Amino acid sequence: MIRNYFKIAFRNITGTIGYSMLNILGLATGMAVALLIGLWVYNQYSYDKFLPDYAQLYRVQRNFNSNGDTLTFQSTSLRLADALRNQVPEIEYVAESDWMGSHGLMVGDKKLFIQGGQIGGDFLKMFQFPLLSGNANTVFQDAYSIVLTQSTATALFGKENPINKMVRFDNENDLKVTGILKDLPSNSSFNFNFIVPFSYVAQKDPAIKAQYTGSFGMNGYQTFVKLKPGISYAQVAPKIRLITHVETGSLNAKNSYVTFQPLQRWHLYSNYVNGKDTAGFLEYVNMFTIIGTLVLLIACINFVNLTTARSEKRAKEVGVRKAIGSLQKDLIIQFLSESFLLTLIAFVFSMVFVQMTLPAFNALTGGKIGIPFSNAFFWLLMFGCVLLTSIIAGSKPAFYLSSFQPVQVLKGTMHPGKTRSVSRKILVVLQFSCSIALIISTVIIYQQIQYAKNRPSGYDMNRLIQSAMNNDLDKNFTALKNELIQKGIVESITTSTTPATDVSWHSDIDQWPGKNAGETVEMGTVFVSEDYFKTMGMAMKEGRNFTNIYDTTSVIFNEAAISRLQIKNPVSQSITYGKKQYKIAGIVKDALMISPFSSADPMMFYCYPTRQNIMLYRLSPNIKTQDAIVQLTSVFNKYSPAYPYKYSFVDENYAAKFKLEVLIGKLSGIFAMLAIFISCLGLFGLAAYVAEQRTKEIGIRKILGASVLQIWTLLSKDFIVLVLISCVIASPVAFYFLNNWLLKYNYRINIGAGVFILSGLMAIIITIVTISFQAIKVAKSNPVKTLRTE
Amino acid sequence: MLKITGLEKIYRTEDIETMALNRLSMEVKEGEFVAIMGPSGCGKSTLLNIIGLLDDPDAGSFQFNSIEVAHFNERKRADLRKRNIGFVFQSFNLIDELTVYENVELPLLYLGIPATERKQRVEEVLEKVQIMHRKNHFPQQLSGGQQQRCAVARAVVNKPKLILADEPTGNLDSSNGNEVMQLLTELNDGGTTVVMVTHSEHDARYAHRIIRLLDGQVVMENVLS
Ligand SMILES: Nc1ncnc2c1ncn2[C@@H]1O[C@H](COP(=O)(O)OP(=O)(O)O)[C@@H](O)[C@H]1O
Ligand SMILES: [Mg+2]
Repeated sequence: MIRNYFKIAFRNITGTIGYSMLNILGLATGMAVALLIGLWVYNQYSYDKFLPDYAQLYRVQRNFNSNGDTLTFQSTSLRLADALRNQVPEIEYVAESDWMGSHGLMVGDKKLFIQGGQIGGDFLKMFQFPLLSGNANTVFQDAYSIVLTQSTATALFGKENPINKMVRFDNENDLKVTGILKDLPSNSSFNFNFIVPFSYVAQKDPAIKAQYTGSFGMNGYQTFVKLKPGISYAQVAPKIRLITHVETGSLNAKNSYVTFQPLQRWHLYSNYVNGKDTAGFLEYVNMFTIIGTLVLLIACINFVNLTTARSEKRAKEVGVRKAIGSLQKDLIIQFLSESFLLTLIAFVFSMVFVQMTLPAFNALTGGKIGIPFSNAFFWLLMFGCVLLTSIIAGSKPAFYLSSFQPVQVLKGTMHPGKTRSVSRKILVVLQFSCSIALIISTVIIYQQIQYAKNRPSGYDMNRLIQSAMNNDLDKNFTALKNELIQKGIVESITTSTTPATDVSWHSDIDQWPGKNAGETVEMGTVFVSEDYFKTMGMAMKEGRNFTNIYDTTSVIFNEAAISRLQIKNPVSQSITYGKKQYKIAGIVKDALMISPFSSADPMMFYCYPTRQNIMLYRLSPNIKTQDAIVQLTSVFNKYSPAYPYKYSFVDENYAAKFKLEVLIGKLSGIFAMLAIFISCLGLFGLAAYVAEQRTKEIGIRKILGASVLQIWTLLSKDFIVLVLISCVIASPVAFYFLNNWLLKYNYRINIGAGVFILSGLMAIIITIVTISFQAIKVAKSNPVKTLRTE
Repeated sequence: MLKITGLEKIYRTEDIETMALNRLSMEVKEGEFVAIMGPSGCGKSTLLNIIGLLDDPDAGSFQFNSIEVAHFNERKRADLRKRNIGFVFQSFNLIDELTVYENVELPLLYLGIPATERKQRVEEVLEKVQIMHRKNHFPQQLSGGQQQRCAVARAVVNKPKLILADEPTGNLDSSNGNEVMQLLTELNDGGTTVVMVTHSEHDARYAHRIIRLLDGQVVMENVLS
């Protein structure tokens, strides 16, 4: 019997290939979108979970009470790391770590400048990234050792075995390769190419080593912990919370309390509100889960509408089968197996679509996802999804078709197409409401990005370049500067502790005029050298710039700092920072170094021209960029031979701040387009069906003198009304969600009526174009011909 | 075999009520060949549909083999139908997507008959109605007469006790019509009860008895020799 069902299903599919293709194409597109999003969502949830014992791994955070607000920082002190290690028996391991910046690795004439970490010796026992050679217990026994990932090792040593070979590190010391790690998977929160034991840092720099016994307020590093097996965070939480309060001298320590964030939550729960890790990236994951489901639903609606619209054709079959003795149950099974077959075909197509679009999708999202062909669970899941989709899409037509009464059908007194048109209309409205809501979202996201992009950043990014400093550049900076300016390559050059597009260090200011007792303010803190403001193109608002590199008792605040600290007549007043007194030399205008979406941070700038992290320089106006890069490479190689010349354009770094928003905008744009496309496929099919049904009526109307335009209006009017209703439904829903989304940006647009009008107009134009194919074809047909076929 | 007493069927639409069957009574004995005649709209098809358990009456009694079936539910009716009754329609009502063979096989599939027996029985009746050579054709590829013979084959393949035919020759020319009537007569000779609606006095003469209807009531019965 099942064979008979499939046979008739197959012949139905091939017999009306046009409708079937519409149906399959729509469903396949919907399934492809859902599958793509599903793979992506799965990938997001899989972050870090490949690590053994991932549930016992945490990072240490400091919740800092800043005048009523709880701010969460992951920067911690080395003293805290030691306190956790020695005072909390539930903790198995602690690993302190730097922030994993770029370092120079040199072997012979091979030079790399890549990201890596300097990290506590127990790290690999906690985060058990697989070692291809070396032993996690012993790789960091010696401070002068380094563990490379496989691709780093290949880049430095080629085919040679790197174990026990030496790597020149930052052109300071030779470190012995003690282990090779498998390259980190793309769904890892860590992203390093090598690791060096933290003991190396401590041994090299006594000042850093001293921090283990220094203050809890010197928060320069991150700390990771692993709890002992069977220990839950709840058991540890009370012991660590106030662990820093023993240090009465430090306001920072007294105003902080310590918590851990589990590794499982790092990736998705990155947004802290009053010390709690609320959703963060999870919001986007959820948003796309909803979008994927909606697009699939839209495709299912197509299926329902196209199938029920064609039911007149199937009615006779139902009548005959019932007359012969079939029960409604049998027919339901028959129609469900038919929809299963169709869904299965659509699934095959969707797999092809996904396989074809994955490279582009990965390029867009920067991920590395693929279809797990060899995973049996995946196929089981897919089978389940196909079954579920075929039931969702097929059950309505199945119950509807199978309910036909044979007497009516066989007598021909039944017009199934008409009785269902109301619920079909509701479904069309549902479809278009979803599609229009997606269009509105896309437009608003783009408006918000554009709005933030056009916001004045407060500094001049044009032709401004940043490079990381290193020991050699530090030593030879003056010579390098002179040569670059003399040769006319750059017009201005400076150094700073933070890049132009970030503020990597915040610290407390101790005293300022008008300070309330017990008040603490964490401020963005930047140490700069000569010509910093000139090179950055930041304008002074009041007072003066630093006079020269020896102007070490002056501080320059930005406007935000003055209004935060509420200093009246600031210029020439005194403040205390790090137990030293400074005079306020001037006030510089605010610059958006952190986020283009929020207001500028309060900032303080000090002149302190040794050991800085970033070199900033602006190209001369009359040199071509390509020529400049060639010349810069040769000058940099001259003064820093151990490091490859690396640079980035500040405007590109700034643009990267919009990455997430641009990605979200692009994805919602693509999905909106696909949703509209699928809806239009359905509309196209429905219009064809209506046209077919009304051929006779239209023929008579034409004989009676109706024009093509009148016929077109007759056929299009109903659909356009439906789309208008959808606009009315979609607008408030989209407004509600996007208004909520915008709230997370300090600097945001106001949603205007224009977006809704524009999106509605777009939807209506697309609808008109879609239906007109059918409407015009019918309207232009020769009435004599169409009437004869009746 | 069939005993109908005081059968009523009323169709209600928005503005009018039609009394399609008006306290109709009749009887059909096992092995009989009965023709039902009457002007268009007098309730012939309605009656046939009720006899065929495709529709239920509003009032009255209908006994099928001495069992009251007037108020059977859909499940019981379907079961009774597929075991006992075969249908032949004026417009053939073959399933366009199935071949001749598959159309005829369908009732046996619903009865759950094993494949080998199915094949044998389908071929047997196709042989009998002489369209074996067309068994792999689709209905549209056949002439009207061939389609109706196929429909008859489908009606008898499950060896029903009763065949109901609603104007079986209405869409056929006279020679094709005669072939179909011949078939029905042969089946009747083999013991199957036949109830046929027809407009044609010529076709009605194949029957043993003619029941004439007017406005949903029996107005006359003729027994033919
Ligand atoms: N589904 C229906 N709805 C309303 N009236 C119907 C329906 N079916 C039949 N009728 C009416 O019932 C009467 C009998 O119909 P029918 O049994 O088809 O007549 P016949 O087959 O003798 O031509 C007619 O007047 C017809 O219009
Ligand atoms: Mg009739």
